[in-house]
Amino acid sequence: MLNTIDQIFIKAKQIILDILSPFLPEWMMILISIFIVIVTLCVFGPVVMMYLTLLERKFIGRMQNRYGPNRCGIFGLLQPLSDGIKMFTKEDIVPQKADPFAHFLGPITVIIPSLLVFSVIPFGRNMIPSDLSIGILFFFAVASTSTLWIFTAAWGSRNKFSLLGGMRAVAQMVSYEIPMLLSIVPALLVVGSFSTVAIVNAQEGLQWFVFTPWGLVGFILFFLTGVAEVNRCPFDLPEGESEIIAGFHTEYSGMKFALFYMAEYMNAFSVSALVTTVYLGGWQGPILPSWLWFFAKTFVLISIMMWFRGTFPRMRVDQLMGFAWRGLLPLAFINLLAAALWVHLSFPLNDILSFCILTVSVLMIYVANRKVAPKKRIYKYAYE
Amino acid sequence: MTLFQFLATTAFYAAMLGILIAAALCVTVRNLFHSAVFLAFTLIGIAMLYFFLQAEFIAAMQILLYVGAIMTLIVFAVMLTSRMGNPAVPQSFKNKKIVFLPLGLVGFILISAILKTPWETSEPQTAVNAVTLGKALMNQYVFPFEVVSLVLLVALIGAIVIARSE
Amino acid sequence: MYGLGVLKGLWVTIKNFTLSYFTRKRLTTVQYPEERITLSEHARTFPILVYDESPDKLRCVACEICAKECPPKCISIVRAQDEAGKPLKQPKFFDIDYSVCMNCGICEEVCPFDSIYMDRQFELSAYERSEEFLYTKDRLAKSAEYFSKIRPETAKKVEEKRKAKEK
Repeated sequence: MLNTIDQIFIKAKQIILDILSPFLPEWMMILISIFIVIVTLCVFGPVVMMYLTLLERKFIGRMQNRYGPNRCGIFGLLQPLSDGIKMFTKEDIVPQKADPFAHFLGPITVIIPSLLVFSVIPFGRNMIPSDLSIGILFFFAVASTSTLWIFTAAWGSRNKFSLLGGMRAVAQMVSYEIPMLLSIVPALLVVGSFSTVAIVNAQEGLQWFVFTPWGLVGFILFFLTGVAEVNRCPFDLPEGESEIIAGFHTEYSGMKFALFYMAEYMNAFSVSALVTTVYLGGWQGPILPSWLWFFAKTFVLISIMMWFRGTFPRMRVDQLMGFAWRGLLPLAFINLLAAALWVHLSFPLNDILSFCILTVSVLMIYVANRKVAPKKRIYKYAYE
Repeated sequence: MTLFQFLATTAFYAAMLGILIAAALCVTVRNLFHSAVFLAFTLIGIAMLYFFLQAEFIAAMQILLYVGAIMTLIVFAVMLTSRMGNPAVPQSFKNKKIVFLPLGLVGFILISAILKTPWETSEPQTAVNAVTLGKALMNQYVFPFEVVSLVLLVALIGAIVIARSE
Repeated sequence: MYGLGVLKGLWVTIKNFTLSYFTRKRLTTVQYPEERITLSEHARTFPILVYDESPDKLRCVACEICAKECPPKCISIVRAQDEAGKPLKQPKFFDIDYSVCMNCGICEEVCPFDSIYMDRQFELSAYERSEEFLYTKDRLAKSAEYFSKIRPETAKKVEEKRKAKEK
């Protein structure tokens, strides 16, 4: 019974294929089975994004002592639909001297990586759209192209402030990519394979990676760098909403802006999904169906991202870069070392040793990054 | 299944055609930024070819390094060298037809070299995946690996020396 | 220590979030068309004219002090005349242009006959500006009971003053 609920989506697809199979030739059946998966993903992505926007607005509203949207439908559940209608019917304004090629290409290419990475995320037991042998690497490769596309979008605006926002976006994304990749490597070291399915299968029982010393540090590192990669608060300087109006997507209206907006929330979802896959055990969990565990964990992480958005002010660009290069990068290297030691030693010693190494390194990084307070000034000639 | 083979071959040739078109556009378009974007498309096309040839690790590395990092570098270089208003390259010499002579010569040499190379391999190669690549890098090719990392270190230090404020 | 401010901030926000489901103090929104907040007694929006027995017998004697004192000059008064042409102590036309009125309350302060006072109605939106917002005498006239309902303390003071003057 539990197994049926667990595999309910696989069984639904099988039922559809069984209904259609007497009528159609075999090659068409294969195409249809691929097509079902693709259509599900392409529907699932934007629907998830729409309801994530609603969830964010209500969540942040409650944190700010107000209701979120609650006029459109009960609890505002039809609000994303009205937002969608608004964005479809807005006029598409292209600035006169803007580059039409870059202006057109920007939004399209920004959303392609966001949709493409859904194909390597395991949503449940046997429920991964395509089990690549290089799953994690594919995710990072495709996500790292976004820097170029965000820059294209900024260039297409013909606006100095958007270009500035785009350059800051590229600098931020490039400098947070390195700690992000390094924070994944300990998990790959332990599992021995790039495939996301193998990583989830290696976390059987309750041996999620987050419960190990290097896993805890890796989880925090990966989560923070993931938040920085998708340009969410407190790292959302590129789209700094009150500083440079909307950063690199200022000059886009209507459907193009809807695509940027969708790309941001789908990126947030996919980064949370990847963090749960690698560190929180993916779909592993005792009683409930696997896809329910997956969505619960991803939902918790997304709520933490929204919690950060409601709490923190935006980081300044030099603080942002300093955090990445002076704080997170050394910690990522030392985490890798600690994980390697953990793998090769045996039970009590490995936990203790890696725990000690990590706490010492965190303290050292903290001490090394403290700003020296300037000396108190002495005004020799005042008050004379 | 022959339909799938047909579709796969068609897709392969279509990808190659796409790469050729993107590369041709990259070198003929006047606007520098557009040509950088077409270069990115060419590199992504090459990564798709690697996927077709079942070299998945190399394909992912191609996207990650070329399109993710090197194209960012090229785009920043384009931005720093051209004005934002009109990044078109000004034409410097007038008589364009004389270019076809060395172009034809180089093309002839390349195409004859390609046609004369024995491309057929006798037995199917084993797929190289990340694990064997990693082990080979650490055991057999450790010296080039260390030299490359030394070169990267020198480049990093050089960049810091150039970019630091006095 | 360096990271504690961050954690304290997170704690404040999450406390706000969870307690907003339980206490009213942390969710101060008023769902406007269904609930309304009660205005205080001295809130003022637009002027009205008070009558004692019937809308014909306004307290106003058309002295035109409020028209002279009104800063944007939104009040226009024409004194009534009987058949012989002799001026009467009541206004024939008393128009206030609500779209010009700036809700200052000076007309209330200077009226010596306790006839013009500030009301508290703000839900007066209309579709046309010229017809709907030019309030004539019949729309401005409100009874003294209405006046004491909306402003009990002021009405009580005004009643005591008028009784003292009558004696």
